[in-house]
Amino acid sequence: MDNLFEIGADGLDTAAIVAEIQATVERKTREGVYSDPHVARAERSNLANLKNEENFLTFYLDCLRDAVFVDINDFDIYERRRRFSRALVAFKRLVWKMLKFYTYRLWSQQNQVNGLLLTAVESTESRYREKMAALEARVARLEEALRGRAS
Amino acid sequence: MKTADSIAFVCPRFAAGGAVGGAETLLRNQAARAAAAGRRVTFLTTCARSHFSWANELPPGERTVDGMTVRFFPVSPRDEAAFLDAQRSICAGGSVLPGTESAWLANSVHSEALYEHLASHGAGYDRIVMGPYLFGLTYRASEILPDRTVLVPCLHDEPFAALEATRALFHRVRAIMFNSAPEQALAERLFGTPLPPSAVVGMGMDDFAADGDAFRKRHAWADVDYLIYCGRREPMKGTTLLLDYLGAFRRRTGRDVRLVLTGSGPVELPGELAGAVTDLGFVSESEKHDAMAGALAFAHPSVNESLGIVLLESWLAGTPALVHACSAVLRDQCKRSRGGLWFRIYPEFEETLLWILDRPALRRQMGTAGRRFVLSEYSWAKTLGRMLSLLDEAG
Repeated sequence: MDNLFEIGADGLDTAAIVAEIQATVERKTREGVYSDPHVARAERSNLANLKNEENFLTFYLDCLRDAVFVDINDFDIYERRRRFSRALVAFKRLVWKMLKFYTYRLWSQQNQVNGLLLTAVESTESRYREKMAALEARVARLEEALRGRAS
Repeated sequence: MKTADSIAFVCPRFAAGGAVGGAETLLRNQAARAAAAGRRVTFLTTCARSHFSWANELPPGERTVDGMTVRFFPVSPRDEAAFLDAQRSICAGGSVLPGTESAWLANSVHSEALYEHLASHGAGYDRIVMGPYLFGLTYRASEILPDRTVLVPCLHDEPFAALEATRALFHRVRAIMFNSAPEQALAERLFGTPLPPSAVVGMGMDDFAADGDAFRKRHAWADVDYLIYCGRREPMKGTTLLLDYLGAFRRRTGRDVRLVLTGSGPVELPGELAGAVTDLGFVSESEKHDAMAGALAFAHPSVNESLGIVLLESWLAGTPALVHACSAVLRDQCKRSRGGLWFRIYPEFEETLLWILDRPALRRQMGTAGRRFVLSEYSWAKTLGRMLSLLDEAG
């Protein structure tokens, strides 16, 4: 395995290694390996770096899709402190039960808004993408016709 | 061709211990080496140490450091609030109003005493080397004797680079010393050609011995895999991104990779990284080099670099690099040296780090290639030769 990318006496071809890694990432992305809210969250400070890239918006929307819904389900309640841990867990469970009816209503509405907003942005983006593709095709056709006329 | 016998270096801060940026270190080292090569060197700087407050902390006057005369001038009074207002507007992106640009420039760091010195004694200097481009002091000083001025821009692709004043600065000076070919290409893209005569110079690196095992032993980390980042900790340098990525990596892969930080600036650690990040703060150069040598890789998540001095240091320590692909400079260095890999998004970071973790032999091979690259491309003999050629030929 270690010799996979070894190239002559000059050492490794790091560009080839990166290309190989990118191909792996593309495949895994298609398989849904990175559809994970943790990935979306990790990208929050990277989005500004990618703003000039052609596929920026697609990538950004992918990230948003993975993070758009707030998890409102019940969750494991535990206590790190050893002393009174059972009592503290029971107390936290009670607090959660009392608050649940309120937070559930609040977050389910928020999730609805988040989902609708994302859908709206996605459909706008896809419409513009189609429009751009149609315009580019038209420009290419016109240029072709101009070249034909010139020759 | 007139030899540049007497050279002034101008920089808003003088790199002497403590927290200074790469540009200040670069200019100081270039000046010291030029002095050691027999040129008469004077370093003109301000009494400030902090690039946030620009308070006059050092006494004004003249001192001799590394065989060169260093003259400290007081910073002139400035309206910090107006400066920060203008800076916020510029950083917000979009077109910048002329008033905003002039407010930003007028309230940046300046030293009237330094300008007066240049105006009255500037004719005695064959060349006046100044940088980085980002400060008002560089703009104003370059206007005094532009035909003798050589700019060391340390240019990044950032909102300040798009200002009209920056374009004028790049076209005003006699010559430009770039740190890397991608920086030169960026200047040509932003400001158009022809630019004044230029050369890629960079900074020479002194070789050192580093002992990664000793560092691991000192910290009882015999079997700990860690990445290292050295330098200022701030969002612009990508440290937030690195922490976010490391947290996701540990959670998703279950691999216990840690992070060692050295340098200045606050670090806000998310709870999930408690125990996984060790902040050593300021350490001696030898401790830093040992820490670099013991690391899996040097992680450089910044996209705003014109050279990457710490990256070159980590290669000298025999450690491969993992850099952000959006930094054309760092990516180019890794490609040319074959000493590092690059990522653009989290999934690429995860795959690349796994690749590095699982291939110790290739890791060593990359580290060795990086070290060879620095020793051949960034020896002082080479960089000083490139610098003095440009300074002499620009006469």
